[in-house]
Amino acid sequence: MDLNAIIKDCLEGRQGAWETLMNTYAKRVFNMAYQFCGSRQEAEDLTQEIFLKLYNSLSKFDFEKNFTAWLLTLTKNYLIDEYRRTKWEKTLRDEFDERVLPQTSLSGPEATLEQKETQALIWAGLNRLSSEMRMAVVLRDLQGRSYEEMAEILKLPLGTVKSRVNRARIALAEVLREQKGEPS
Amino acid sequence: MTCERFEELLSAYLEGDLSPEEKREMDAHLASCLACAELLTVFRETQEALRGFPEVEPGPTLMARLYAIPEKKSFFQPAFDFLLRPSLQPVFAALSALFIAISFVFFLPQGRGIQKAIDRQLHLGYNQVEKIYAKAGSLTDELGSLKNSVVDSIKTLTPEKGQEDKK
Repeated sequence: MDLNAIIKDCLEGRQGAWETLMNTYAKRVFNMAYQFCGSRQEAEDLTQEIFLKLYNSLSKFDFEKNFTAWLLTLTKNYLIDEYRRTKWEKTLRDEFDERVLPQTSLSGPEATLEQKETQALIWAGLNRLSSEMRMAVVLRDLQGRSYEEMAEILKLPLGTVKSRVNRARIALAEVLREQKGEPS
Repeated sequence: MTCERFEELLSAYLEGDLSPEEKREMDAHLASCLACAELLTVFRETQEALRGFPEVEPGPTLMARLYAIPEKKSFFQPAFDFLLRPSLQPVFAALSALFIAISFVFFLPQGRGIQKAIDRQLHLGYNQVEKIYAKAGSLTDELGSLKNSVVDSIKTLTPEKGQEDKK
């Protein structure tokens, strides 16, 4: 698939080009928004806003650059700006329920239950990280981006990205330890 | 190795990104520091849990909304394009300044004084116009009476002239 050709088709308003672009990137952007903000409803609205922004700024895209990194930078900027603007005070993270639970890699009902509990605590704990830290965890550990890709998306030096990811992971581990240490 | 240094290198340690010497130092620290060993356990647990988070599929409603973006834009675009033309920027700036000035007059307590002054000036102007109008009215009256007196004078002069002819 020639991405640049699809983008050119989008700019010329060719039938089906925008749909192809959406089919390629909607899931990635939606998941990034969902993992960052924690609310499905909020993530749907944010995804629509992000693609609206993309549609308006598509003509400014430099074809020499990496489109995926460009789109994810736009997504990251929009999510962090929106977080700073609203702080999502009115919305909490969705319950980490059965529908979004993965197939467990551990065996036995107890192990599954423990893993579920850990995941629920981490899912809730993500909101206790700063927006930059949370974005680092989302990109590296939830989206599986390489450090090099992250450096391009976040517009930061590689060393800074690695250090930020490490600090974010430690902060999340501390949250987990704190939550598990609390008497129920 | 200090605990701070251990924390700094934790991700690199788990990702196998350390030099053999740094790894040996980390292992040695782990063997002697219970707090860091505990941190490593929770850190691993966190990483394992994060790896298990699934991707969520965007719903059909969202996809329909995303597909419809170009249609929506092409429907609203002409009107907005017209409004967003750079040539209209000075007009918007002037209108904004005008609205700000008007808001000072109408909404600020101090602005009431300005409004009164404007009213006073308007009132004075109106009085002036009224006076001019009244003067104009009296002038037409004077002209009318002057006309009448001229006509009367002419009438009185004409019979005398006729009598002179009979004589």
